[in-house]
Amino acid sequence: MSVTDILEAVVVFNKVAVVENVKTAIDSGISIDDILNKGLIKAMDVVGEKFSSGEVFVPEMLMAAKAMQEGLEVLKPHLESDALMEKGTVIIGTVKGDLHDIGKNLVAMMVEGAGFNVIDLGVDVDTDKFVSEAQAQNADVVCLSALLTTTMPTMAKTVDALKESGLKAKTIIGGAPVTDAYAQQIGADGFSDNAPGAVELIRKLVAA
Amino acid sequence: MNAKERMEAAINLKPVDKVPNAPFTEAPVCQYFGSTFKASLLEGPEMLKVHMKSLEEFKFDWVMLGMGFIGGIIPEALDCQVSYPEDVFPIIKKTSVFSMEDIKRIAGKNMFTKRMESFLEGIRLLKKELKDEVPIACEYISPFTIATRLRGTNEIMMDMYENPELVHALQDAIVPLDIALGKALIDAGVDYIFYGADMECPVLLSPKHYKEFVHEPTTKVCNELSRLGSKVLPHMCGDIVKTGIVDMLLEMDIHGIMPGNLTQEKVLDIRELKGKVKDQICIFDNINPNGPLLIGKPEEVAKETLIHLNRAKGMTGYIFSTAGTSSPSTPKENYLAMDREVVNFQWK
Repeated sequence: MSVTDILEAVVVFNKVAVVENVKTAIDSGISIDDILNKGLIKAMDVVGEKFSSGEVFVPEMLMAAKAMQEGLEVLKPHLESDALMEKGTVIIGTVKGDLHDIGKNLVAMMVEGAGFNVIDLGVDVDTDKFVSEAQAQNADVVCLSALLTTTMPTMAKTVDALKESGLKAKTIIGGAPVTDAYAQQIGADGFSDNAPGAVELIRKLVAA
Repeated sequence: MNAKERMEAAINLKPVDKVPNAPFTEAPVCQYFGSTFKASLLEGPEMLKVHMKSLEEFKFDWVMLGMGFIGGIIPEALDCQVSYPEDVFPIIKKTSVFSMEDIKRIAGKNMFTKRMESFLEGIRLLKKELKDEVPIACEYISPFTIATRLRGTNEIMMDMYENPELVHALQDAIVPLDIALGKALIDAGVDYIFYGADMECPVLLSPKHYKEFVHEPTTKVCNELSRLGSKVLPHMCGDIVKTGIVDMLLEMDIHGIMPGNLTQEKVLDIRELKGKVKDQICIFDNINPNGPLLIGKPEEVAKETLIHLNRAKGMTGYIFSTAGTSSPSTPKENYLAMDREVVNFQWK
């Protein structure tokens, strides 16, 4: 048994094998940190790369994320309480008027899979809610998602409100109609057109 | 040529006098002409007023409707809880399919709700006014995309692995409803069914899953709507050529195809697509509605428009459009700049 077995089970979204492999790895004394970072988290990086290269698609990403979550549940009692928060706190939601959450959910799962503490505010989120939660959670990054062209103006309004609040949180945007140029125009700190890219962007922003 | 003759010529791959100009303008024209998205969706006379003013100023070659129809009216008729904000698309507050029992309930639904009838009435008013000189196109959706509305996208995506019987059963229940509704659109005056394959595009689903879950129910609906007299025009984002999806689309009785070019960096090569579809169906080329059109200056919009037109110059079966609907905050001067370039382009 090695962390590679855990990684491979997540990549092929074999939930039963993930759970069994994590339990066996714990029992055999493999470090909790390695199980988390080199097994579960690394697996989602591999899945993200496969998604970016067109080897897997959304259903496979969702299934892998679900398998990873099941492994994480087994691991959680053995983790230090702040082990999943030490990389940073990320708030995510679709902006007011937009209920299309597939992209948002993928990003949330990938970011959580990368070891961040993710607060998912769900869909159709008021601008005030983004600001108040960012403040309450001392967030490092706020991710705004929109699928509809009609809700893009709300994205701009939310970015403005977060900046005016004076909070430290960086703001990134994403979603099918959103572009890098639009992100720059509305003053967002970053943009990604895919979930693995969002993870990399968040890593860079938090490390900066 | 009038607009209908021009569009029909292009769809039938015949010569045109100038490039057919058929963008997705539903959301911005509500803003430009003193209405709201909600009012022009749900009130027939308001729908008529907005689109007639739009035609008067822009002289587009079609009237394009239906984003709120597919996003709100259809899901609501199939038991979803839906709200209708003034200036954004309808919002599904609660989905309606959680089990096989729910599918049986859905299968017996009468979809002709009050809102459905109001929407159809708006189309009838438009048809009467347009006198068949300008065609009406309406957004429509596949059984698979309706299924994602009723059950939730994530749920359907995971069902394909965990509960495939449900995905098949739900679409089997939707197919006759989808056909009945399409027939109602055609009877009301819709010329072109713009068939949005939103959730089964190769950006989201593998070609293998497309073939296993989507192809058959979609084919049934497209073929029947075509037999009923509509031109059926699928829209799909992603690389439909390299993934082979276009080959499956060409097995259906469709009349054209609109790939989705969401960014300038990822534009599908229109000539590669033309090489694939040859003279079998027409192509709706499209500029990114969220690029210069939304955030650029008129001269940048004009430049982007010309890039597309020059790339396709002389091609048979070519129609200029935008990739999906435009934001309501799209500056009117940008739309006018795009319009000018298309109208004045020397096509021959």
